[in-house]
Amino acid sequence: MAKDMEQLYQQRLKRYVAAMRNEKSDMIPIRPFVAEFTAKYAGYTCQEVTHDYEKAFAAARKCAADFDWDAVVSNMVYVWTGLTEAIGLKYYGVPGISIPPTTGFQYIEPPEEKAFMKPDEYDQLIEDPTGFLYNVWLPRVSADVSAMGQPTSFRNNLSFLKGGMAMLTYFNAFGKQNELLHTESGTVSAIAGILKAPFDIIADKLRGYLGLVTDVLERPDKVLAACEALMPHLTHVALSGADPDKNVPIGYWMHRGCVPFFSMEHFKRFYWPTFKPIVEEIWAHGHQVLFYAEGNWDAHLDSFAELPDQSIVYHVDHGDIFKVHKVLGEKFCISGGIPNWLLATGTPADVRDYCKKVIDGVAGNGGYIMDASAIVQNDAKVENIKAMTEFTRDYGVY
Amino acid sequence: MKKQQKTKRPPGVCIPWQEKLKELPKISGDKELVQKVWQNIDALGYMYIWQCLLSF
Repeated sequence: MAKDMEQLYQQRLKRYVAAMRNEKSDMIPIRPFVAEFTAKYAGYTCQEVTHDYEKAFAAARKCAADFDWDAVVSNMVYVWTGLTEAIGLKYYGVPGISIPPTTGFQYIEPPEEKAFMKPDEYDQLIEDPTGFLYNVWLPRVSADVSAMGQPTSFRNNLSFLKGGMAMLTYFNAFGKQNELLHTESGTVSAIAGILKAPFDIIADKLRGYLGLVTDVLERPDKVLAACEALMPHLTHVALSGADPDKNVPIGYWMHRGCVPFFSMEHFKRFYWPTFKPIVEEIWAHGHQVLFYAEGNWDAHLDSFAELPDQSIVYHVDHGDIFKVHKVLGEKFCISGGIPNWLLATGTPADVRDYCKKVIDGVAGNGGYIMDASAIVQNDAKVENIKAMTEFTRDYGVY
Repeated sequence: MKKQQKTKRPPGVCIPWQEKLKELPKISGDKELVQKVWQNIDALGYMYIWQCLLSF
């Protein structure tokens, strides 16, 4: 690796980490969560980057090399559908198979009556979450895995072998990808590890959103107990994938636990008491959590403000970034806030104006990272991403 | 954080070492080595299902 590339990497890492600690560095770091945009820029279809992770990696590296970004996610098109097909997972719309090759992968939630967990199965989940996932959940979400007590099959046996080997291959490939980002373009890998809230995961993958809406009214004690049973496992998985150097945060993907999907009462009874201790535990181990607040979580900012200083980075999607800054800015770094619709339909001049407004409003004392509101897909215009990058470099100097 | 009570399988574990140990004859060699390797590989089985749930 060229010495100047290592210097560039160290400079960017220092800038990125300083901002995440809510401090001021030499300039505003840029860390766009570019997903299918990378395919568009590098000349691939969504099918290619979703089904062939080497192409996704190459596309991410090409963007990292061509844009002056401090950090990127190694592969924001994270769901490798080669793996999900090997396991036979039913809940994906796969580009080039069940949806057009030019459309990003989709998650398909089953109707309430076909939820992957039945309303009377909470006790099984609470008693033994890992056993429940293997014995009950996996056979329902996989087309190949046989249910307990049913005859096994060639496809069943192969699913575990192929799935396990494919997962290990994929995860191991991230080490090389991160090294190449470092050596080829001096770019920092933006996050490490994965976290979701117990309440969200019950809605996402077990009971479904509608099922959980029913459950918080009809069996609230079971819901709370299930969230509590999931807490140590979700903490363990998050810490298992965390950055050993404790520089970059664990990504926490926030889904449908906020108002108006659920009431404030439900948030305070179920969501927050079973998630806040996870963040506190992770912070006690020295790791930050990146709150990727998809949608609008403004109703819950006061709850998030209860967390220890610097323990999180708060990413703004549809929330009011100026309100977020007012409530959380003294304690935490903020990122995002540049609307995806603007990046898709606006002009470079529009983008520059919006970036100026955000920088002027929230970045004055450091603790801000430039990014779009949500992951950048293939609807974003290349010239608008360039405008966001170049304007921030010019204007975002301290 | 609140600890799980009487859990069958704690985080990171599919088949606990103590359960496996009951199936083995008296270990004549390095018991700690057998335990460590068992637990490390067992943890991969744990990670597989939880990553299926969380990441895929």
